[in-house]
Amino acid sequence: MVEIKNLTKYYGSHPAVQDISFTVGDHEVLGFLGPNGAGKSTTMNMITGCLPSTAGTVLVDGYDIAKDPLEVKRRIGYLPELPPVYTDMRVRDYLMFAAGLKGVPRDKRAKQVEDAMERLHITDVQKRIIGNLSKGYRQRVGFAQALLGSPKFLILDEPTVGLDPKQVMEVRRLIKDLAKDHTIIFSTHILAEVTAVCERVVIISQGRIRAVDTIENLENSVSSERKLCLKVEGEITKVTDIINSVEGVSSIDEIEFESDGVSSYTVTASSDTVRKPLMEALLAKDCMVLEITAIHANLEDVFVRLTAPTKEESFEELGRQLDAAREAEEAAKQSDKAESSGEEDAE
Amino acid sequence: MFSLYKKEVQSYFCSPFAYIVSALFLLVFSMSFIQGISNMDSSVFKFSFSNIFYNNFFYFIFMIPLLTMRTFAEERKSHTETLWLSAPITIPQVVLAKFFAVATVFLVMMLLSLFFPLVAAVKGSVIVSSLFCGYLGFFLWGMVCIAVGMMMSALTDNPIIAAVLGETAMIFLIFIDNFAATDLVTSLPFLQKVLRWFSTEIRFNTFSQGLFTLSDLVFFITITAVVLIWTIIIIEKRRWSRG
Repeated sequence: MVEIKNLTKYYGSHPAVQDISFTVGDHEVLGFLGPNGAGKSTTMNMITGCLPSTAGTVLVDGYDIAKDPLEVKRRIGYLPELPPVYTDMRVRDYLMFAAGLKGVPRDKRAKQVEDAMERLHITDVQKRIIGNLSKGYRQRVGFAQALLGSPKFLILDEPTVGLDPKQVMEVRRLIKDLAKDHTIIFSTHILAEVTAVCERVVIISQGRIRAVDTIENLENSVSSERKLCLKVEGEITKVTDIINSVEGVSSIDEIEFESDGVSSYTVTASSDTVRKPLMEALLAKDCMVLEITAIHANLEDVFVRLTAPTKEESFEELGRQLDAAREAEEAAKQSDKAESSGEEDAE
Repeated sequence: MFSLYKKEVQSYFCSPFAYIVSALFLLVFSMSFIQGISNMDSSVFKFSFSNIFYNNFFYFIFMIPLLTMRTFAEERKSHTETLWLSAPITIPQVVLAKFFAVATVFLVMMLLSLFFPLVAAVKGSVIVSSLFCGYLGFFLWGMVCIAVGMMMSALTDNPIIAAVLGETAMIFLIFIDNFAATDLVTSLPFLQKVLRWFSTEIRFNTFSQGLFTLSDLVFFITITAVVLIWTIIIIEKRRWSRG
């Protein structure tokens, strides 16, 4: 179990991380989510003992990182944002060295290195010099390094950055696979990734925790209101009147012209139960309902909402953060696109 | 710790690095050797290896930083230090492993230079005790330089700057005698005494005369240890402020 208690880090007078607390249970996959510059890497560096904290502690299996750093480090495999690989070494030599550094007994090193290379599919490049490998391969070599010494906890800082869509899929599959016998904390600013692999999410922004919960709960927490999308054939004025007249409909947010006489309406309703009366009312007035779908609030909404600035934060920060959130959204969209194309490839 | 030592030694010898620096060292050493022979007094036919060593001190200023400049600066630059920062190994162990690795390279360089006394022994006679003490002094002075070079490498993330800083610090160490002899310092006897105590030249001279005194040995080892401890403190300090 990893317990993080009131972790705080100041760089000079600038607070990078403030008062972060959460726990990670055994065999759990925890997503660490936040816009760029939110303090994700700083927190991870503190958990792994690379960076001492200004205040607060990290307990790994009951060992304090400040008091028993070696015991903690023995239990943790860390893949930093930039894989810590020596570019002038060969893959296999590097992994053997890393295994030695992590205190793996001499007779077990070769076996562990083989296993790690197998898992990351880098066995065929083991004789090559790391500097000549592509970013994706280097990332995987770094990942293999984190697995050495069979640590109980894996801390992965943006493990899929720089990988092609197919490799991203592979890494996600690997994380799921590793979750069987490891506890994993991994950070990302790509939302699709979190939904794909994590059970629980910690959202941080501006160095503060905004939420710690399961994805489901977070999605539900955004609002109790339901959004419906209707495609109806009929005159727009007539249809809007009918929709507005139904009890439970709070507003029509958007009307979009689709094709001859068909328009789509985005409706906010107080609950799901409004669907039936809505359909009945429309059909009674001879308006054909071609499609009705419930729009779920997704993690992106949660993310944008939670990472939005609070009142006491200055306007400057506000602008910066919105930019970051927008970027993150964009990245998520792109990765979604990339992922779907990757899936096609895989098929 | 041994893994790190092994990897460091390999990184010197599995690249052209150690060979090129050794070659440069031997070139400089051989030139001093030839100079020693050509300047021999024709009446006694004697020359001193200690003088060659002493000449080499100055070349050291430029050679040792070449070996040490990468130790920490490059790791910081290429973000590989997270590997040993997150591994179950302490920073003193890291510093020692790296120090011994550079010391090993230096030892190899010194062994190669044994070629010259051997050549001299074939055609003449060599005073072994003087030669041994000369080598010992040379080695101890080398250890001090390596420690200083490593400390400078820990201060920056640019190997070139590390090399220049190391050279500056070593120049200061070498010329501390000359500084102690200036009018300004001689007018302050106490300061002169302190500075002369730190003088490596005086201590090396006793070695070069074939004399081995415990105080000199302690002096070199202490300086090396103190500088290494500073290196550890610098790395710990930088660990607190890294991003």
